Order: sequence, then C-alpha cells, then structure tokens
Amino acid sequence: MNILVPQNWLKDYVKTDAKTADIANALSLHAFSVEKIIEMPGGESVFEIEITPNRGDALSVLGIARELRALLPRLGFKADWQEVKNKEISEVDKLKLDVQIADKSLVPRFCALVLEDVQIKDSPDFMKERLEAVGQRPLNNIIDITNYLMFDKGQPMHAFDYDKIKGAKMILRESKKGEKLVTLDGATRELPAGVIVIEDGEGRLIDLCGIMGAQNSEVDENTKRVLLFVQVYDPVRIRKSSMALGHRTEAALRFEKGIDFDAVVSALKEAADLMKQYASAKEASKLIDILNVEYLPKEVVVDYEKINLVAGIEISEKEVNEILQGLGFESVGQKVKVPSWRYDDIDLPEDLAEEVIRFYGYYKLPNKLLTGDLPKSADQKLFFLEDEAKNFLKHQGFFECYTNSATNENLAGDGALKLANPLTEEFKYFRTSLLPQLAEVLEKNLGYGEKIKVFELANVYLPQEGKLPTQPLRLGLVVKGMEFLEFKGVIEALQKEIGVKNLINFEVKEQKEGILTAELDFEELVKKAVSVKTYQPLCGFNSIKEDLTFVVSSNGEVVYPQIEKIILESDGRILKLNFKGIYKNFLTLAIEYLDTTKQISSEQTQEIRKKIFDRLEKQLEVKLKL
Amino acid sequence: MDLKELKNLVGEFKADAKKISSVADFEELRQKYIGKKGKIAQLFEVFAKLGTEEKKEFGKKINEMKSEIELEIVDLQERFFNKKVESPLDQFLKTLPGKKVEAGHLHIITQTIREIVEIFKPLGFVRVRHPEIDWEWFAFDALNIPVTHPARDEWETFFVDAPADKKYGRLVITPHTSNGQVHEMLKGELPIRMLGISRCGRRQEDIRHLQTFFQFEGLAIDKGISISHLKGTLDYFAKNFFGPGREIRLRPYDFRFTEPSFEVDINCGLCLGKGCKLCKGGWMELGGAGMVHPNVLRAGGIDPKVYTGFAFGWGVERTYMMKSGTQIDDIRHLFNNNLRFLEQF
Repeated sequence: MNILVPQNWLKDYVKTDAKTADIANALSLHAFSVEKIIEMPGGESVFEIEITPNRGDALSVLGIARELRALLPRLGFKADWQEVKNKEISEVDKLKLDVQIADKSLVPRFCALVLEDVQIKDSPDFMKERLEAVGQRPLNNIIDITNYLMFDKGQPMHAFDYDKIKGAKMILRESKKGEKLVTLDGATRELPAGVIVIEDGEGRLIDLCGIMGAQNSEVDENTKRVLLFVQVYDPVRIRKSSMALGHRTEAALRFEKGIDFDAVVSALKEAADLMKQYASAKEASKLIDILNVEYLPKEVVVDYEKINLVAGIEISEKEVNEILQGLGFESVGQKVKVPSWRYDDIDLPEDLAEEVIRFYGYYKLPNKLLTGDLPKSADQKLFFLEDEAKNFLKHQGFFECYTNSATNENLAGDGALKLANPLTEEFKYFRTSLLPQLAEVLEKNLGYGEKIKVFELANVYLPQEGKLPTQPLRLGLVVKGMEFLEFKGVIEALQKEIGVKNLINFEVKEQKEGILTAELDFEELVKKAVSVKTYQPLCGFNSIKEDLTFVVSSNGEVVYPQIEKIILESDGRILKLNFKGIYKNFLTLAIEYLDTTKQISSEQTQEIRKKIFDRLEKQLEVKLKL
Repeated sequence: MDLKELKNLVGEFKADAKKISSVADFEELRQKYIGKKGKIAQLFEVFAKLGTEEKKEFGKKINEMKSEIELEIVDLQERFFNKKVESPLDQFLKTLPGKKVEAGHLHIITQTIREIVEIFKPLGFVRVRHPEIDWEWFAFDALNIPVTHPARDEWETFFVDAPADKKYGRLVITPHTSNGQVHEMLKGELPIRMLGISRCGRRQEDIRHLQTFFQFEGLAIDKGISISHLKGTLDYFAKNFFGPGREIRLRPYDFRFTEPSFEVDINCGLCLGKGCKLCKGGWMELGGAGMVHPNVLRAGGIDPKVYTGFAFGWGVERTYMMKSGTQIDDIRHLFNNNLRFLEQF
C-alpha cells in the first residue's frame, strides 16, 4: 500500500542535509519505491511511498525515518537522530474497566487508559496541517491525536467515550453471524461470524475491532471522559474480517501487517501526553496492559558466506555488521536479535542477506552471464513444429488470432469448467473447443473481405474428476469464401509440412452457410510428425504419366480413400497417384508409373492399368469412363 | 537532293540495312537516315526552300518515306535485338502493381514470444509450458504464500467451481507463470534454465489488464547462482529486446517466493535515463524478479544449502507495449481479433 510522508514530519526524527530528491532516490534504490513527490501549496514536499506487504513496520513516519537513519550516512549524507523521550503518565486508581477476553489469540496485547476532564475542541494547527498533508480530515483534538499517532508511529488507536461504555465493561470476542452495528461512518454493518468485536455491559456492540469504532460509543463534543485504546490484534482475523466486510480502513491495513508489540505502551503514553497538552485531559485510571502472547526474542544466524554467494561479490563482515546494526539488529555471537518492529518479517539467513545487499546497493553489483552446466534435456520439437505450422498457415493467407481462454456458457461447450468467481458473463466457462470463439471472430469481421481465414493454436480445458483438467493444445481453423476441398487441402498440406506422413483424420464442418471449420489435436500431430526424412534412392529411368477418368457409382457407399488404397496396392510400380478433378460423378486421377529397375514401357503400364480396372470394378463397381 | 534522289532513298536504305552486323552498324544506319542530321532531315531542309506548289508534292513524299523508314528501323531493331519494342500501353501495364499474393499474419503475441525465446536461447534457457489451470498448491502454497498471507490478495485469482483436492487445494487459473517453478523442479533434473511461457488469468480488466494474458517466466537453478547472474541475464535481455542503449536496474521489492526480491526498471528509451516527460526520472518499471526463496526450493525437493537460483516473470503483452514506437495504447486490442488491427503486424 502507498503512504504519504511529509518531509518536515520526518525531521522530528532525523535531521539531514540530504535534499528532497536525494531522499527519494535513496529510498527507491535501497528500501521502498517513492512513487511521487507531491509539492504542497506551502512549499512542503510530501513523499508518496509504496510499502511492500512484508514491511508493516514502515507504514509510518517513524518507520521511514528509521530506514533513512541507517541509509543516508552510507550515501554520504548527515543523519542525526532526534531522540524522542518516552512520555510518562501518572496512573490513578479511580475509574475502572472490566475487561473480559475469552480467546486470548484474538488480541495479543490489550492496552487502555481512562482520561477525564477532557475538553473537546479543534486540534492545534501543526497537527491539523500534518493530518491534511497525509490525507486525513481533522475532526476534533481527541480523534485527531489517535489518527496523528497512527501516521506518526504506525500504531492505530481508538478513543471511546468512556461514559458510553455501559457498565464500564468490555467483552472482547468473535462475532456471531448476523450481528449488526453502526460504524463511525454511519454505515449499518451486518457481520459474518469470526469478526473481532467488543460488547459492553448492556450487550451492545461498541467496536469493530481494528477496523472502525461504533457510533454508539464515539467521542463527540459533549465527551468528558475518554477511554484511550491501543491494541495488537491477530493480523489474520483482521484481514479476513476487513475483506469480508469490504471495509479496508487505514487501521485495518496496518493491523493486518503486524504491529510493533514493544511500542504499544509508549505509543499509548504519547497519546495520553498529547491529550493532556491539547485537551486538558487528566489520567483517571491505572494503565491496563494485558499481554496475551509471550514474544520470545527472535535470533537469526548471520551467514556471511551466503550473503556473498547471493550477492555474487564479497561484502566484508565489517560492512555486513554495520548495515545490520544500523537497521536495529543487535549482535549476539553468530546471530543477531531481530528488532521488535521487524518481528514478523525476518526469519531466515536469506532475509538478512536481503537487508544487507539492498543496503549495499543492487546497482553496485556487477552484471554476469550464467556459466556452468546446461540443462540435460531440451526437447523443443513441439515448439518448433508450432512455429512451422503457424508460418505455413500465414503463407496460406490465414490470420492468427488469440481469443480468451474462457467464454460464455453457450460458446464453451458441454461440460466446460466453470469459474467460481467470474468477473463477467463473457469470461465464465473454460472452453472445450477453439471453434465457437473463432467462428465469432469471423462473424465480427465479415465486412473485411470475400475470403477470410483465421486460426488459433491454443489449449482447451477438459475436466477430469478429481484430477487436473487435461489441457490439450488444439489447432482451430475457420474460413469463409473457400471451397470445401481447397480448405481440406490446406490442412492436408499443413500436416505434410510438419512431417506427418500418414495424415490424421479431421472433420471439416460447415458451421453456417459458407463458413467452414476444422479442429485438430496439435499434440497428436506432433507425435506423428517425423523429423527424420528417409531418402528414396533415385533411378535414371523415366516415368510414364497419364490421366484416367472413372465413373463413380452414386450409391453412396464408395469413399475416395478406398479407391486410392486399391489403386496404390495394385502394383508396386505406381509411383504417385493424385486427385485431379471431378465433374458430376466422373473422377479424374493422375497416375505416374515408374520401374526403378528398368525403363517402363507402355505395354507394362497397360498391364498395370488392367489390374487397376479389374480391382476397382470388382471391389467398388468403379469403372473407367468410356 | 531532289525528287529523283528521293525515289531511291528507300531502296538505298534497304540495301544499307542488309549490310549491318553490329549494334554500332545499326546505330550508324539509324543516324544516317533518321538522325538529327540524317538524310530525312536534309530533305526537310531542301523542302523549306521550295515554292508552294512544289512543297505540296514534295512534303507528302518525304512524310511517306519517313514513316516507311521508321517502321523499317523498328522492325530491324526488333529483329536485330530480338526484343519487342514496347508500345505506350505496354509501358503503362508494367507500372501496374503486381498481382497480390494472399498474405496472412501472425499475431503480435506470437511474434513477441518468438523474439523473447530467441534472445534467451543462446543463454541455454529451454522453453517449457506448464498447466494453465493448476492446483492452488503450485500457484501459491509451494511458492511460500500461505492462505492467510496478505500477499495472496495481490493476485486477483480466478477459482474453478470444482471440489478441492485434499493435498493440493482448489483449482485455480494461474495468476502468474510462477506455478511452473515447482513443477519444473519436481522433474528432478538439475541444473535448470527454464523459459516458461503460458497463458495466465486474473480477475481484472481495463486498458492495462486483461482477464487472459501471457507471461514469460525465467528460472535458473544451479550451484553458485547470484544476483549478479540475474542482473547480467536481464540486462542481456533488455539490450537485445529493447535496444543496445538500454539498461536495467534492480530496486528492493517483496515477493513471497523470492528472497531478496526486486522490481526491475529499464532506462527510458527516449532519454536513456536522464529523465524526461515520458518517464519521470529516467526509469520505467519493467517487472518483478528475485532469488528463489529457500522454501520454494524445498517445495521442489532441492536443497537450498547447496543450490541457489533466480526467477523472473513478466507479462508478454506489457513487455511488448513498452518497446518504443509500438504505440498500442490499449491492451484490449490484442484479444479483440479485429483483422484490420491484426493485418498491421
């Protein structure tokens, strides 16, 4: 997510001689991408920074300042850290809060403090300006302070009107499905089960924890007593709830990425201090601090060798240690202790390698090409033949198309896989054939010309129960303005082109008047394709060619392949047989005779011809046209 | 010269014509009779000095003779050079465009994929293809992205309406080609240099995104592979795909399946990194990359203590559109299949 960080605000933490552009450049190259620098009317610069999901610790001015403190000196800039003194509060055992938490995993840390004599008014100007600079509308001093500290320290917090918490009692639990509450933005929200909520002494829901407070307990102009509320919630539940409700607030986005558990109390104290300063508040309770999860110190091995291996160059141990210390890692022998704000993010030696090398500077690493062994197997036949087939079709005047892998119910075919969460009706079912969409492409382009030819080479998706769907590669062709035999001829020639000797059968369908389609299993073709061409010895003798016209009986039982087979099997001296033409039922064939051992004579061809006639007549009742 | 001589001129020409034996002879003959100072021209000079009556008769004769000799010369030329002399219409016909050969077109995605494959081939990258509808495990869990992780939201993933597998989870439309990483590792052969190019799907559609799109995924796993190798490889690609002046740089980023992870920038084609209106700062984002996360290597049965690797996965269409000069402003053109669009490639 992107955050806004005003440059002046950063100065609360780190004083530097680096210019705006230097800061942006340093962050982009070593930490986070500065997407934009916004110039405010008053001349102030605000950085818009993209924070990666692993870096919840950087979703604040403090987080960015911490990064700059370690980074800027490495780039030759000054970076003086401004120690911020921890604020102290005086606890008073006056007002109580009865807290009941049934499931401790919901809220690893629960902190609260009651303040009284609160005067609700506008916030001081500096605070209003800073909130506006980060896009937050100022409301009143109490609410603004909670928001201000969220942007400042990355710790979301909430303020309740203490008197609206009935019975001064809080039951923190998971919601039941169907429970309702009205949030601060006025929206009535019906909850799914499992959302973290707080119920007060009268059974009312008063908070949608970690996402947004409820209207019934909000601070308003009459508020006198405030419950300041600072927590660490279970990130997974916050994320799920906020997604389920479709309500992604600044607070939720921070809670779900993890909160620095060690900074909770100091953040609360700072908020109390600001309330004392700007709202005349006074402490009215003891500090409530319930730790439900024990955070054991986390230590990770520093693997210097691995760091050098990953970087591809040598970074000295001294430099590694300096970088890690700058980022808040404390040395403990061969290991480092992970700072509390990086607790959720750093687990492995590789994680430390990333920290070190990014600070060293990726741009300083040399460019090297791979050396060493090459992969053992590299079967590229399929891809090679795909290219061959595509080129062939292109030269036959075909346009290659790419259509969506999913389509609507009508075009997808029977038994098509259905999406569980489609975005549109037109992208809902995964196709079982390429042809319906290709035919649609052709229809859309009818005005293009008399003759239109399109093809696509892509997967279709065929469900298999309990298994991954099969995803065969198909070749789909759709044409308009082509003769049936012309179209068929292209597909036969294509098969030969890629090395298929015994052509596989395919069906040419007339999809609509004048529109012909065919679909082939391309992987099947590739299996049959022979890449090694076998040489037939040439002989010095001449062949004899002639055309013969036959009368094909129209009983509908004869098919051409039978005729072809019979002729070719009649005699070994028949070199070639080609279909030449058909008029009515008169079929003309071109035959070439060759004897590879001696010169063939017309007497011999006559003898062969007779064999052909006999067989054709006997087996198929096909006779020579007289 | 007078009328008498005039009568013999054609005969004289024919006699001369019989004697020619070379191009030079022919040219000489032509000059002698119809050249600027040739016999016909001389006759016209005589003609100019004649009286009106004489002119009538003489003029007619010269013109007849001229036509006859010119025809003879054309004839002679055709015979002598064995070549037909073109008529004006013949000449016009030759200027007409040639008969159009039926021309088809390969889709720009195919052309781009070929270009990408050809660039990586000499580096030893072998082209592969992995399932486009795959188990959730390969698309996420094996890539170190557990169900509860926010990073999983980053992909607007399509799920298939089918029962989930106990081990591998639901069926998904792979939102990236990175599902192929662990498939490739599980083949059990090392080293790996793979270039996986497949269709992906994401639940989004606008001028920059399509529900169907292509990615190319590079994966190299071997002993001793470093970020420097990744940089070298991507730089090689950038220079060959975008042009010799182009360079890449890496910036820190976060992907769950790589550690460290990078955003890869390319210097702007217009200003070559100096900064201009088009690029804002000299660099433009190209895509993501990183060193393969040890958990991903483990999921693929590879020991991360011995092997390291790098990976990158970028959109084919987007990478193509970033080439300067393509001027395709809306990615949706690519799947519209308007033939008037396709014929431009």
